[in-house]
Amino acid sequence: MNGWHVPDDLRAAYLDGGLPEAAAMSVEVHVASCQGCQAAFPVQEEWLEESWAAIADVVDRPAPRPLTRGLTALGMPEHVAVFLAATPGLTRSWLLGVAGALGFAVAAAHAADRSMLVFLAVAPVLPLLGIAAAYGARVDALYEVASAAPISGGRVLLLRAMAVLVAALLVTGAATPALPAFTAAWLLPSLALTGAALALGPLLAPHRASALLAAGWLAAVPAGREAVFGAPAQAAYAMALIPFVYLGARRWNRL
Amino acid sequence: MTPDSDAALLAAVAEGRLEALRVLHHRHAPWLRARLARRCGDPDLVQSALQDTFVAVWQDAGRYRPSEGAAGAWLWTIAIRKLVSALRGRPAPVAAEAAVTESAEDLVLRAVEHGDLGTALNRLSPELRAAIRATVLDGLTVKEAARLLGVPEGTVKTRVMRAKAQLRELLT
Repeated sequence: MNGWHVPDDLRAAYLDGGLPEAAAMSVEVHVASCQGCQAAFPVQEEWLEESWAAIADVVDRPAPRPLTRGLTALGMPEHVAVFLAATPGLTRSWLLGVAGALGFAVAAAHAADRSMLVFLAVAPVLPLLGIAAAYGARVDALYEVASAAPISGGRVLLLRAMAVLVAALLVTGAATPALPAFTAAWLLPSLALTGAALALGPLLAPHRASALLAAGWLAAVPAGREAVFGAPAQAAYAMALIPFVYLGARRWNRL
Repeated sequence: MTPDSDAALLAAVAEGRLEALRVLHHRHAPWLRARLARRCGDPDLVQSALQDTFVAVWQDAGRYRPSEGAAGAWLWTIAIRKLVSALRGRPAPVAAEAAVTESAEDLVLRAVEHGDLGTALNRLSPELRAAIRATVLDGLTVKEAARLLGVPEGTVKTRVMRAKAQLRELLT
């Protein structure tokens, strides 16, 4: 600089707050750009190390996964978002599974005289597959970790089921325009089946409940398009959803 | 640019080198802390503003342009704004000022040392001085200064105007 530096007595007066404003301002402006005067400020080693440790702790934290960031941006609490994104391998596997099965169903529906029965039969089952794959000792590599975590198994299942459902509905919904009218008919049966799978949660492991319901559903479909997807049947699915939603909400609040 | 200059260290931080941030922290934290403490009497708020400052440096070191001035001045602009946001609407607790007991002799000496402007500045009331300090020296906007001082924006504007008028009067 220009040879002038903050004298020791001036710095001491500055540090103890007794320096008149004009002098303090001149000290501050000089110190901001003079390395020697910056270094002359007294350092409490202990404070400096503690202060650095706190910063390093924040800075060194792993960056959140893109999925976690996206979910928090949508307003989801951070711990839930981290939890949902914690098993990316699993997420990919069921998402791919759902997409693959759906693609197959769409192709089949187009090949077979556009009856759509295949699509309509398969679409509601897809979220069930996802739920079966979402939780349980058999499929989850993190099952033991999750069991030990301070979050109940039921809540884990519901959270993952909800994630699966949203993803499956988005994928299936995206495929719907690929087919002509009548295609939204899968939605209510799908929700009803999912609700039933969750309601069976306390009685049956998710993969058993899902297998049972899927088998029942596929057995019922040959009864005919009108019987399975017609207005009365749709109304029944909607009615069936009500207790499931109620049960789910009650269990959620208890967890 | 020597390898341990502030500019080189900031460039290294921008590349994600934690060690460079550590050197910067050890070099700048002490004086930044003292300067923040003059503007806020609550040591916890000062500490948290200081921490936020270096976290922000970690994220934004790439924005520093050596051509725009010393790194220390750049760090200060971040630190003072972090202090303003750490306050979250509360006024800054006034920094404890040691009683200034100056003899007549000291006053005369100081007038010689700092000239008329220094004397004039020191004769401003503490409120007017704080307004000048926040807007002129710290370069805060009127809005930020209002948050720092805990007064409405209009009041900051009036105080800055009054302070300037008073300085003009004292200097002519």
